[in-house]
Amino acid sequence: MSLAKFLIKRTLQGIFVVWGVVTITFGLRAIAPGDPVDLIVDPATSPEIRQQVREDMGLDQPLLIQYIEYLQGILVGDLGFSYQSRRDVTTMVIERVPATLELAIAATIVAIVIAIPLGVISATRRHQPSDYSATMFSLVGISTPNFWLGIMLILVLSVQFGVFPVSERPVGFVEAVTVLVTTGYFNDLITWFRHMTLPALTLGTYFTALITRLTRSGMVDELGKPYVTATEAKGLPSVLIRYKHVLRNTMIPIITVLGLQLGTLIGGAVITEWVFDWPGLGTRLINALYAGDWPVIQGVLIFIGIGFVVINIVVDSLYAYLNPRVVDE
Amino acid sequence: MQGANYSLDRRTLLQRTGAATSIAGLAAIAGCIDDSNGDGDDEFVVTQGEFATTVDPNDHNDSPTYNVLDQVYEPLWDITSDGELEPRIVEEWDHPDDNTMELTVRDDVVFHEGQEMTASDVAYTINRAVDEDVGIVSEQADRYPGVTGAEAEDDTTVLVEHESVASLVEFNLATVATVVSEEWMEDQDQPANEELNGTGPYQVEEYTPDQDIIYTAFDDYWGDVPDIDRVRYRAASEASTRVSELETGESDLIVNVPPTDTAGIDELDDADIRTVTSLRNIFLVMPNDDEPFDSQEFRQAMNYAVDVDSIIDNVLDGFGAPSSQPLPEGVFGYNDELDPYPHDPEEAEALVEESGYEDVEITLESPEGRYLNDTEVAETAAQQIDQLDNVSCDFQIVDFESLTESSLDGDPSTSPDFFLIGWGNPTYDGDYGLTPWFVEGQASYNFMDDDIEEMITESQSVDDPDEREELLQEINAELYEAAPWVFLHREESIYGIRSDVDWEPRADESIFLDEMQR
Repeated sequence: MSLAKFLIKRTLQGIFVVWGVVTITFGLRAIAPGDPVDLIVDPATSPEIRQQVREDMGLDQPLLIQYIEYLQGILVGDLGFSYQSRRDVTTMVIERVPATLELAIAATIVAIVIAIPLGVISATRRHQPSDYSATMFSLVGISTPNFWLGIMLILVLSVQFGVFPVSERPVGFVEAVTVLVTTGYFNDLITWFRHMTLPALTLGTYFTALITRLTRSGMVDELGKPYVTATEAKGLPSVLIRYKHVLRNTMIPIITVLGLQLGTLIGGAVITEWVFDWPGLGTRLINALYAGDWPVIQGVLIFIGIGFVVINIVVDSLYAYLNPRVVDE
Repeated sequence: MQGANYSLDRRTLLQRTGAATSIAGLAAIAGCIDDSNGDGDDEFVVTQGEFATTVDPNDHNDSPTYNVLDQVYEPLWDITSDGELEPRIVEEWDHPDDNTMELTVRDDVVFHEGQEMTASDVAYTINRAVDEDVGIVSEQADRYPGVTGAEAEDDTTVLVEHESVASLVEFNLATVATVVSEEWMEDQDQPANEELNGTGPYQVEEYTPDQDIIYTAFDDYWGDVPDIDRVRYRAASEASTRVSELETGESDLIVNVPPTDTAGIDELDDADIRTVTSLRNIFLVMPNDDEPFDSQEFRQAMNYAVDVDSIIDNVLDGFGAPSSQPLPEGVFGYNDELDPYPHDPEEAEALVEESGYEDVEITLESPEGRYLNDTEVAETAAQQIDQLDNVSCDFQIVDFESLTESSLDGDPSTSPDFFLIGWGNPTYDGDYGLTPWFVEGQASYNFMDDDIEEMITESQSVDDPDEREELLQEINAELYEAAPWVFLHREESIYGIRSDVDWEPRADESIFLDEMQR
């Protein structure tokens, strides 16, 4: 099978998955308790007005008709209107994507910057205090709920020491960089950094712990291989051996996990965004869930589904490019 | 003593330099910008639990949205915190006949985008809410009881046609008829969700949908220009985040402070807690279409079984006031001669026996997170009822949306047998607290009593305010005896605010920033 055929196959599979997500979320909406009209108008509103609203929103149509119209809308990028705010759902979803992407990428960077050196140190100093500390950190990081960690970081670093702000995203990264490039004014970038730090640390902690463990175990495996002994025998410096040879070989599974975890972070930032009032897809989803605003819930879930599919296709493509045997398998 | 070796190797030097640089960088970042939001220090930040669901002033009916939009859009007249009507855009009003109100509007009011406000705008605003052909199907329509339409007679005179009594219309128009520009509104997509253009003391500087809105004082406002010049409204759903924001100075006014956080805020040097007992009643509904709640004795027994004072003290940390009737204190028609049912388990058991429903099993259903400590309140009430020797009471949490679907559909037979809910009275008029619950055909109709229904309908056509108030009080007394609900408490509104702000919270949960002095 050629690479092109492989990608076409993966893309078709991805489209099928997205259709599945669309259908399941629509089905959930259909069986969910609660009358959508209650969300659009006050419960005390008279039956006549309620019926009028039902007709205006197309909610009086048979379910199949509603489903077909919904699918037709998605094909042209129309996800309908929010029950609560009457805003266009496509806009409501897209306007929140940059904040969530920024947070997911920042959390990933936090994880890489902390986890890889920690994993290397842990692997090369096995059974020493630094190894035990790194292992303990990983255990704590994996076990700590985001919700609790976020609140603790706020209480300590914001309320107690006043180092970072509690919440919000007053400026986006692209906007801050644009201001820096065009005017030389760097305060926006610092403001962005200060507001991003605590959410990124909160979201990145679990991820950091995971990568630390992966790096450690990968490094331990690699360090026992004959080529390491050979390079040591050649007299290469240990730093060069660890970072240039051993770590490079360890990175292959780590990069795979990083790619897939980015998708998880996009979908899993809900609690972190909630605690820090971060205006991303997570807060949009949770607010919509509380309000029972199904068009928005569906829009966000479909977008997250598309994000997962795209990331998977990209990772598969990279795999196929780096290791052509995958295509044949 | 052996001499210390002060020489550093290259690695140690790099490590120490790196550490020092990191600490210095962090300190610089923390210190170089005092204002964490990147905004001016003079900005007054209000953080609610929820942001405005829309910015169309005629297309919503929820408190957080009213609070955001009330700074920009003005009503015809206002209700003061004492429940008195106060002229605003309309200078005076009169009643030429039983079905007409004549409004005289101010001639010095301009919209933020420069249009002069005329009587035509006022008429358009009313028609926009009551006549769906004018623009939108407004969920405020039911808050214009009996209003059939409005017409501008000249630039300053509006005639409002109505079928119900004048005083009822007056109270309702004070809370919903926030005036929009006809010319501007007709150029907007309907409903108008993208921009704002009102006549109020604040105009919009920047609006980010679902996120925040920044206001500045409107220089051409017809009344007094507000003391606080720049305001930002935003929302943080998580209560602990709101509290932290107040503590760090990122927010200046926060709403719905959890009772457990009030002591911590009171200890701050620059912030304090302010509370008011709101016009929102919390109660347990007992639809009388089925056993055992079709018995008046059984319903009264439930009122005697629940120890409301204990719930307020222990579950709500003292934040709340016991209620005795459907209308909260401060609302037109409240009967101050009625005392809350006392906690008397023995009387409750005797009444259960009298009702013939001994050893009955019932289940109390409650939403979670909708009202202050709602599940804890309901669970405690259920336990107290369960402690009666001859009644067994379970407790169950239900989704609020499904609860409203089944209980607020106008059909008592589809409602849960026994459930907790809350009801606000923002119009300050008793009709808003009675008609929806006790008149057939209304969405919240859950208690069938022809006599009470007749009295309520009659009250809507009594012109004399004193006579009408007396009738509403009589209805409350009848309802006290009929016991359609277990009357629990009036909810407390708890705010955290900068100490240097002169402001008292209002019972109707409204926040008018132009009334604040700093």
